[in-house]
Amino acid sequence: MPEPIIELRGVTKTFGGLTAVNDVTFTVNRGEVFGVAGPNGSGKSTLFNCITGIPFGPSGGEIRFDGVRIDGIPPHKIFRAGLSRTFQKDAEFPDLSARETVALGGHYGAGLGGKVLEQASEEALDLVGFELSRRDMATADLSVYGKKQLMIASALVSKPAILMLDEPASGLTRPEIAALDELLMRVNRSGVTILIIEHVLGLLLSVSQRLLVLNQGSVLTEGAPQEVIRDERVIEAYLGSAAA
Amino acid sequence: MTRNRSLFALAALFILALVPAIVTDSYTRHIFIIAFIYGTVAVNWDLSLGLAGLFNFGHLAFFGIGVYTAAILTTSLDLSPWLAIPLGGVTAALAALLIALPVARLQGIYVVLVTFAFGQLCMQVVLSQGDLTGGAEGLVRLPYLRLGDYSFIRDFRFGYYYIALGLLTVSVASLMLLARSPFGKSLRALRDNPDYATARGISVARQRVLVLCASAVFTGIAGGFYAIYLRVASPEVFGFSVATLILSMVLIGGAGSILGPVFAALGLTFATEAMAGIRGLEEARFLVVAVAMILVLRIAPAGAIDIFARLFTPRPKS
Repeated sequence: MPEPIIELRGVTKTFGGLTAVNDVTFTVNRGEVFGVAGPNGSGKSTLFNCITGIPFGPSGGEIRFDGVRIDGIPPHKIFRAGLSRTFQKDAEFPDLSARETVALGGHYGAGLGGKVLEQASEEALDLVGFELSRRDMATADLSVYGKKQLMIASALVSKPAILMLDEPASGLTRPEIAALDELLMRVNRSGVTILIIEHVLGLLLSVSQRLLVLNQGSVLTEGAPQEVIRDERVIEAYLGSAAA
Repeated sequence: MTRNRSLFALAALFILALVPAIVTDSYTRHIFIIAFIYGTVAVNWDLSLGLAGLFNFGHLAFFGIGVYTAAILTTSLDLSPWLAIPLGGVTAALAALLIALPVARLQGIYVVLVTFAFGQLCMQVVLSQGDLTGGAEGLVRLPYLRLGDYSFIRDFRFGYYYIALGLLTVSVASLMLLARSPFGKSLRALRDNPDYATARGISVARQRVLVLCASAVFTGIAGGFYAIYLRVASPEVFGFSVATLILSMVLIGGAGSILGPVFAALGLTFATEAMAGIRGLEEARFLVVAVAMILVLRIAPAGAIDIFARLFTPRPKS
């Protein structure tokens, strides 16, 4: 019996006269990998922002995490509650080392300290396959893939229930995308639910158990990935009416 | 790098501790004392401005509050200056809490406007409450420090020198420890990427309130000591010239570096004092400081300490 972990009901986000996310409703179940696809400007990242409250929450609708409403609560508390996210662009704290970056998430996200924090940080870095020799490097000096690994490790150190990934494959080479695919599977097997937005359809189809497609801020369709990509409305949204 | 900086700071402290044995004239010791006080204010401004990236332009108000707390408590309530000086830090921290509440949720230019307005408000309160503050004339003939029979105004500023140096040392050491703590790292994270930091559980509002209060404590104590040392409390402490001079210490020294503003405070206090004795430069000395600030920021945005760090860091062999 699927157990809902994230539930969105009629979530809407408007900027003046523009509706970026329009009446979006879906449920993510515990333990699954749920993908969100859609063409550029379809509202995927805005939807992520609404769920996490960073940098803004929704204009309307209801978001529940583990049955508790989270729309309207401060974003740092959403992370502490167990809902962790990454960013599309290479987010970093250039002044801090990889270890320090991960430890920050453990300290402020889960209230860890001392040896427990050190151990949790090392475990998170191990889980994402972050090389030992680079752990004291300044994050500004890491490769694009290294920064992605680090962002995921800093999200995982507080042992979240759900990890939300905003286009994790952007800027990566094919071998790195393959490594990311393995990494996400590993994270999911460790018990973390994953909600992923991705432009690289190959990765999205490979990791997702269910897929939702957004177009112009609204839900176009939702279902098993292989069925969804054959939907004519999805083909039209991505490639135009001639292709459909 | 951090270890090198700590060793450098210890070496500098050792040399400064020996200065009174070599420099015996009161005037030069007085310049050192003023530099130590300004250094304490600058390094604490660096905490909120440089380390936390909070555009706090009301920092000198905390200094002024410390000045007037010590002055009022010693003149109106006959409190011992030894107690009045630390109480300057307490009232400054309370004032910081007051201003931090609206600032906690503001961004960019609005932080500048609110903190700047707070400084001006403090000056207007001082000017309008003449019965308590002495108004535009300020308060004079404040009691000086005594320790039993030992008078601090009859020792060629020997005692005041070590109190000022001690205040600066404790303040810098506290900030260096704070910068290495999770709290200090969270401030740097919020400065560099507030969204990412928030997404890792760091509360922007809470850290801002804490950093403003923390930066006000030693600044207020420095203000209290300044008033007792000079035996005067004047509304000029809220003015532009002191604020500009101390801001230039932060920026020339290197915002966010902690040690940079301390050395800049020493250098700029002596430089401006030396220029005051040169005909034609008496009034133009602050112009020279402003030009120096522009030049340093143009050449090395991370401040003069970064230039020195690059000079003394061995280049890797190609």
